[in-house]
Amino acid sequence: MPKTLIHATNLKKCYQLTKTNTVHALRGVSIDVQEGDFSAIIGPSGCGKSTLLHILGLLDTPDSGAYMLDGIDVMKMKSKEANSVRAKKLGFIFQGFNLIPTQTALENVMQAGKYGGMTMKQRKARAMELLKLMSLSDRMDHKPNELSGGQQQRVAIARALMNKPAIILADEPTGELDSATSLEIIELLKKLNRENNQTFLMVTHNMEVANACKKTIKLKDGVNAG
Amino acid sequence: MMEIFRNMLRRKGRTILTITGITVGIFAFTVMGSMALRFNKIIGGGKRYITGQITVIPKGSSFGDSAGAFLPLDTINKIAKVDGVQAVAGGVSLPLVEPDPNNPTGGGIGQQASIQGMDLESAYKNRNWTTMQMKEGHMLEKGDAANAVAIGYTVAADQKLKVNDTMKIRGKDFTVIGVLDQTLTGPDQYVFMPIAAARQLLIDSTPFLKSLVEQSTAAANISAADLAKLPAATRTQLLQAKAFKVEDLSQEAAVSWKDGQDSETVANRIKDQFKNDVIVLSPTKLGEQIDNASAIFNAIILGSAVIALIVGGFSIINTMIMSISERKREIGIKKAIGASNRSIAWDYTLEAGVIGIVGGLVGLGIGVVAILFINHKTAASGAEIFLLNPTFMIGVVAFSFVLGVLAGLIPALRASRMKVVDAIREL
Repeated sequence: MPKTLIHATNLKKCYQLTKTNTVHALRGVSIDVQEGDFSAIIGPSGCGKSTLLHILGLLDTPDSGAYMLDGIDVMKMKSKEANSVRAKKLGFIFQGFNLIPTQTALENVMQAGKYGGMTMKQRKARAMELLKLMSLSDRMDHKPNELSGGQQQRVAIARALMNKPAIILADEPTGELDSATSLEIIELLKKLNRENNQTFLMVTHNMEVANACKKTIKLKDGVNAG
Repeated sequence: MMEIFRNMLRRKGRTILTITGITVGIFAFTVMGSMALRFNKIIGGGKRYITGQITVIPKGSSFGDSAGAFLPLDTINKIAKVDGVQAVAGGVSLPLVEPDPNNPTGGGIGQQASIQGMDLESAYKNRNWTTMQMKEGHMLEKGDAANAVAIGYTVAADQKLKVNDTMKIRGKDFTVIGVLDQTLTGPDQYVFMPIAAARQLLIDSTPFLKSLVEQSTAAANISAADLAKLPAATRTQLLQAKAFKVEDLSQEAAVSWKDGQDSETVANRIKDQFKNDVIVLSPTKLGEQIDNASAIFNAIILGSAVIALIVGGFSIINTMIMSISERKREIGIKKAIGASNRSIAWDYTLEAGVIGIVGGLVGLGIGVVAILFINHKTAASGAEIFLLNPTFMIGVVAFSFVLGVLAGLIPALRASRMKVVDAIREL
């Protein structure tokens, strides 16, 4: 029986946009993610996918519900503790790559190690190893604007892997890539899942990506759908 | 650290403008501060001297401007007999160079060289300034020739004089017997000479005194028999003229008190006995007056620091707020990958501090160059008006860093408190 990494029940979240306009982004969503999962949250746009991912990634807090991350009750955590848990247990991959433009590929990857509490030496060694794994050995000293979309996303994946996270959360990881590169990135993620038992939870509305996943969680209007 | 410089270079123009703002502020701070330090140093030296004695000036004059009134020798001798007084020395001072009739206000800022007439016969000793450090030769003392002078460091340097050289003062020849060590205050610009010689120079340059002396000499030559023949009114005038003595020419007197006596008590005794003839300035009272003068210069330092703070500080705050809103995305990414609030705040505060210190170093550099240039120019015509103090300069650089950090603090805290999800939405 694999370990449960995410166990969230009945998560609710609403945003008060104006006095009279309240958006109920989540109306009671439950989700479980086991170690080694390769899952996708799917659903039409506005169904609360990104909000759910943000809450699971400790970037936002739910209004109510329960959430255990790797056995820790994160509902009771202060933001300072959340920062530390986020650095050590979670990895993020975003749609727009989101690398720091003034830093080289190597420095971008090393940055995550800094927050994860690694020494300078450990950071450099680990970042170089990961970039090598991403076949980017010859691109380490390039700035993001000198890299292609696929290369940038591979740097972002290396950065997400830096602190050996329990789970990597990906928000539309192929959203800004052409279909050939998308496939390449998905294959890379699948390989990491297969060979390193790395757990992934991604948000997508790309059915090709969803079909590549072992498990899908469907959302509709802020609740689980089927 | 490298990242800070890279971030600063992202918007070169803006960074340069911000740094220029701080540069201007720190430049003003350096220049004004060095000037205030210089004046404070002069004032401080003066204070040490002036609080080592009781100063007596004739009624009708004011301290520091006693040229118009004189203390009769008689009064000086009587003061010497007051209980607690150790000795009294009359003094005469006048500018080293006669004022130029075509440029009467000339000279400019800074201390001008002056002649100090010393009563070598008196046993007077200043309590705080008992001996002067000499660069060469010796200080003027009893038994020195009537045309002997001991000169201050700056006077010697300006006129390239050393011991045994002949120095021409207002047309007369004097022999240098000693050069004082640098004090960075009053004595650097002094020429000490026996009081008789100083009196003569004062008389020679003052037509009124000259005519008094001539009349006195002429009156002295009239025999008692001839005098008796004159009308009573004329006779009184001539007797008054005859009574005038050159020794009466003292513009002020320095009083030293006996060991174990309280200077204030002695000063009050003199004040009580001679309140119709003299003004007595006790060490405490003068010390307070000098402190008030120092306070003005300290206010100048503080004022220029405040200008630097306002000019530089606001430009840093502005720049940092701009660059933080531009980098909202980046803050979001850093937070998403685990950056703590403290680490975000630290990054931006340090960046502001570096902007501050760069502006500070440039401002200090320009300030020092300007000071060295002006000091070089003014050294030829009198005194240097700036004092470059290493501690002050280190302080200026530290101040610019602290200024940057403080100005960066508000924007940095704002950045660190940014909600991740808000920053992330920008993605």
